[in-house]
Amino acid sequence: MYRKILTAVNEHLNSEITARYAMNLARICDAKLYLCFIAERGLPSASLENAEEAMRRIFIEASKMDLRAETITETGDPVRMVSEIVRHEGIDIVFASTRREDVEKRFFAGTVARRLLLTLTSSVALVRVVHIGRIHPKEILVPLKARIDHVEERAYFTAKIAQAFSSKTLLFHAPKPLSRFFHGEIHLSPLEWEKKLPDDIYHFMEHLRRYRVIHDGRMVPGVTGRTITIEASSKRHDLIIMGASERSLLSSILKGNPVEDVLRDTPCDLIILRPGHEDTDS
Amino acid sequence: MKIQTLEIEEVLSRLVTSGNGLTEEEARRRLSEFGFNEIKEIKKKPLPLKFFTQLTHFLAIILWIGAGLAFLSEYLRPGEGMLTLGFAIVSVIFINAIFTFVQEYRAEKALDELKKLLPFFVSVIRDGKKKEIHAREVVPGDLILVSAGDKIPADARIIESVALKVNNAPLTGESEPMIRDKRIFLGEFIESPNIAFAGTTVLSGSGKAVVFVTGMRTEFGRIAHLTGTVEAGLSPLQKEIVKVTRVVAFISAIMGIAFFAIGYLIGRTFWENYLFAIGIIVANVPEGLLPTVTLSLAMGSQRMAKKKALIKTLTSVETLGSVTVICTDKTGTITQNKMEVKRTWTADGREQTTDSLLKIASLCNDAEFIDGEYRGEPTETALLKYSREKIGDLRSERMSEIPFDSDRKRMTTVNIILPGFSFLKENSGGLVAFTKGAMEGILPLCTHILINEEKIPINENLREESINAYHSLMDTGLRVLTFAYKEIIPPYPPLAKGGMGGFVVEEIENNMVFAGLIGLEDPPRPEVPEAIKKCQDAGIKVIMITGDGSRTALAISREIGLVKGIPVIIEGDEFLMMSDREIIKNLSEKEIIFARMTPKHKMRVVSILKEEGERVAVTGDGVNDAPALKKADIGIAMGITGTDVAKEASDMVLLDDNFATIVNAVEEGRGVYENIRKFVSYIFSSNIPEIVPYLSYVLLRIPLPLTIMQILAVDLGTDMLPALALGAEKPTEELMKRPPRDPKERLLNLKLVNRAYFFLGPIEAVAGLFGFFYVLKVGGWKWGEMLSPDNLIYMQATTACLTAIVITQIANVFACRSFKESVFSIGLFSNRLIFAGIAFEIVLQLFIVYHPWGNKIFSTAPIASGIWLLLIPFAVILFLSEEMRKLISRRYLTPSPPSPLRGEDRGGG
Repeated sequence: MYRKILTAVNEHLNSEITARYAMNLARICDAKLYLCFIAERGLPSASLENAEEAMRRIFIEASKMDLRAETITETGDPVRMVSEIVRHEGIDIVFASTRREDVEKRFFAGTVARRLLLTLTSSVALVRVVHIGRIHPKEILVPLKARIDHVEERAYFTAKIAQAFSSKTLLFHAPKPLSRFFHGEIHLSPLEWEKKLPDDIYHFMEHLRRYRVIHDGRMVPGVTGRTITIEASSKRHDLIIMGASERSLLSSILKGNPVEDVLRDTPCDLIILRPGHEDTDS
Repeated sequence: MKIQTLEIEEVLSRLVTSGNGLTEEEARRRLSEFGFNEIKEIKKKPLPLKFFTQLTHFLAIILWIGAGLAFLSEYLRPGEGMLTLGFAIVSVIFINAIFTFVQEYRAEKALDELKKLLPFFVSVIRDGKKKEIHAREVVPGDLILVSAGDKIPADARIIESVALKVNNAPLTGESEPMIRDKRIFLGEFIESPNIAFAGTTVLSGSGKAVVFVTGMRTEFGRIAHLTGTVEAGLSPLQKEIVKVTRVVAFISAIMGIAFFAIGYLIGRTFWENYLFAIGIIVANVPEGLLPTVTLSLAMGSQRMAKKKALIKTLTSVETLGSVTVICTDKTGTITQNKMEVKRTWTADGREQTTDSLLKIASLCNDAEFIDGEYRGEPTETALLKYSREKIGDLRSERMSEIPFDSDRKRMTTVNIILPGFSFLKENSGGLVAFTKGAMEGILPLCTHILINEEKIPINENLREESINAYHSLMDTGLRVLTFAYKEIIPPYPPLAKGGMGGFVVEEIENNMVFAGLIGLEDPPRPEVPEAIKKCQDAGIKVIMITGDGSRTALAISREIGLVKGIPVIIEGDEFLMMSDREIIKNLSEKEIIFARMTPKHKMRVVSILKEEGERVAVTGDGVNDAPALKKADIGIAMGITGTDVAKEASDMVLLDDNFATIVNAVEEGRGVYENIRKFVSYIFSSNIPEIVPYLSYVLLRIPLPLTIMQILAVDLGTDMLPALALGAEKPTEELMKRPPRDPKERLLNLKLVNRAYFFLGPIEAVAGLFGFFYVLKVGGWKWGEMLSPDNLIYMQATTACLTAIVITQIANVFACRSFKESVFSIGLFSNRLIFAGIAFEIVLQLFIVYHPWGNKIFSTAPIASGIWLLLIPFAVILFLSEEMRKLISRRYLTPSPPSPLRGEDRGGG
């Protein structure tokens, strides 16, 4: 599915860590890796040097991993340039690190990350780097919604990342607590919850089984964003992979936005995937 | 692969830093990307919003509707007292809201306590130069310099160290000094000795480390995050009250609509039907319930405080009564934490060998005897005390030491020994290494054993004999320490004081001589076996979670009666390997002990138990217990040994760290719930005499026998103190012989409703209507005649109705003191507060009936004393009828023999 992977590099350490996720995915998918640095006009020379140094380091690391790698350095608007490269080179997935502004702005409106999600025709993996000490993720938490689109690609991405790092995967679903008017909240044991597991999650698990990825499942009712971060925190997961939010601005304001909540409070690195490949059976 | 597994060069390369540290510019850039190194407050609901929630919950909404209707009435028909009613209802809403808000408003100090544990300034290397910066400005990649007394600002990988020891207690709860050095470590991240964790303190030595994570993503931040975000949810009582209010709302709505329709069909005016709707709402809603529950819980918490259990959240009082599982520590909670040497063992059993053993115990020891007092950790103190008593004071200069380490499970010292001191027949003094610790950490280091003052090569037989001795001592519940020594053969390395003093650990801790064993006892608290038995009778499962070995834990468990059969024992390493399902399966076993556990495992045990529907109480004292304490239904912190963070995260603080206090508190909690049921019965009984007058008004075409303000006079006035007095009933012994309350059991169950609505309530209603009609009849009223609200006869009649309710409620308060037992058997005078409550009730009623202000507010008029006397027989009838019902219930309806089955109905009789 991923033959060409692009990772955006800049002067920040985050982008270098993000590139490592891209490199490992490229290795396991036998994909070509594009290291791309787009210098915005007016970028200070020190930042320019830093970014070039980072490009050099990543390229050496990629060479050591026997990856087919190519570097691209351009100047201009990062989103527009990356978009052009994606179209021109036929890139399958773009890795980019989130910036602080993505976390600070509500619904990361107007940020580079949001523009990348909206503009690029390829799949996009936004990486929020928070814990550099966990170099290879051994435990991956994969929160899933009840209705999942692009199941194939999501499962493929999760499986390949898990294979790349020989990680264990925990599929996690946080449904709304059950309640009745006169009874109030109804307690169900994990086994009872499992019986209510949505079909899409079963499909996702089938795909993972097809890729022979070791995985476990868990359902904990509660407020989605908070329940995910508590799970990641208490079980010391090394990485969270979750889908990009599909909620509109209005819906996010009214009902909240779990992706934004996790982005802000994640205790470990987080990859937000916006798939670009349609399911084969859809 | 994690940072502890990398070589230093690789660490620096991964973090894109160097031995010269970051440049200032790069540090600024990283600060802008990773943010400040600080513990952040988790976003919480703002206080005004919290208060607003109290004004908009279900019960409040019903009351708002009632108030709205009253204000509308005032607008439509001014001057009929509806404005006063509207304001009265709004006041009720605010009183309830303030009560509940104050109860819920507790400053969350846990995070503040955590913040205090981080330092303000730290030394870093930037641009190759050492400088002091604010701790919040530390970024990943920074090189930090630490020395004795410093606090570690962020999680950092050690790259240089000189005898560096840290205290990880704020993080792990384990107070032993931990060595930190730069060597790679392939084990668990949290146990890595090459990582200095944020919030921990440098005890001695110095070092350089590279920061790899800051702020909320450090291990310390992880605890803060969990402590701040984990929510226990509504307490069982809060859930029950929500259910009760919904049932009440439903009943009110159905009655309101039905009788509005009936009224319309029989030709009542809109105004009459409208008045009825408001009346039905006000009469049905138990306005006094929330304040009474809150005050009852407050009284319960005061009683618990007297029993050395300090309750922080009021609803926890009742939650305690519903716990089904108590997860408890051993040391200090089950036991006295007073170590005492009970047994010694040597291979030959001779006195000289035992003396040698005690010499090691005395010198390889950090406790001190100063000014007639032993100072130090309990185990060390016990060893020193015993040695001093047997062989006297020993003096020897300690040249080097490796402190106790929970991973190595041993400590070693190197001492200068003078000629004549040594254990062997031939000796010339010199340097001797002494080691003590767990058998599994020491026996593999020994090649010889001390027998008859000679070093004998240790063979398989001797090894097995030693292990058997170790096991047999542990089986008696003793904590067993193993002792060994080694004479260091010159030439010595250049000696330096502190740390290893020039020695290499591996060169010292080998070819050692096994000297013997010492068994220490930490006796159980004398009151614990009785408390455990109470738990067993009460159907509460007690799970011991201890850091001790399984044999010691098992022996203690047997001694206190916690274990009678063959329990499931899960050790820490095994626990880590188990899936949640395996743990669930094991937890379902009757007897289970978790041994060799660290506090960090507790959260998982608690989470699993909660997911399985158990109501869990858990004890804890360390910072890393805080998330488990928050997660549990009842987090119990130790008042004496507990950290401030644990205390802040808990719901209850044990002032004496005693397990028996938990059980006493559970008993009190059960009593509080039982009492809440009693006054719910009491409050709901008076709903019927409040509703029936309205039904009569609509159906019988009579003047309204009880005004809405008079209903409020009962609900928020005369009923309040007697109801509270019911909340002060002492728990009966029988309470702790029942299983925990079934989560499915309702506060307002069918039996309780039947008793209140169809037995006690109707008697009161008959009394009320009798009083009303009696006064009207005497006053010359004719059936069908409508009277104006300010008609004296009418006002006296409603006053008589109100007085009848108050008088019968006096009998009812005695009736509600028990569900099945006769009032005479529980002691008529055993709760003196009841009499105080009744006195208040009578005084208030006298004020309402005879004082002009009371008359004005409640539209009452003075009545003749003879009317009071006429109404008293109704109270007697109510009391005797209830005694009769209880007698029948005891004789014919109580299952025989009484069975403490879960779910046994203890409702309204």
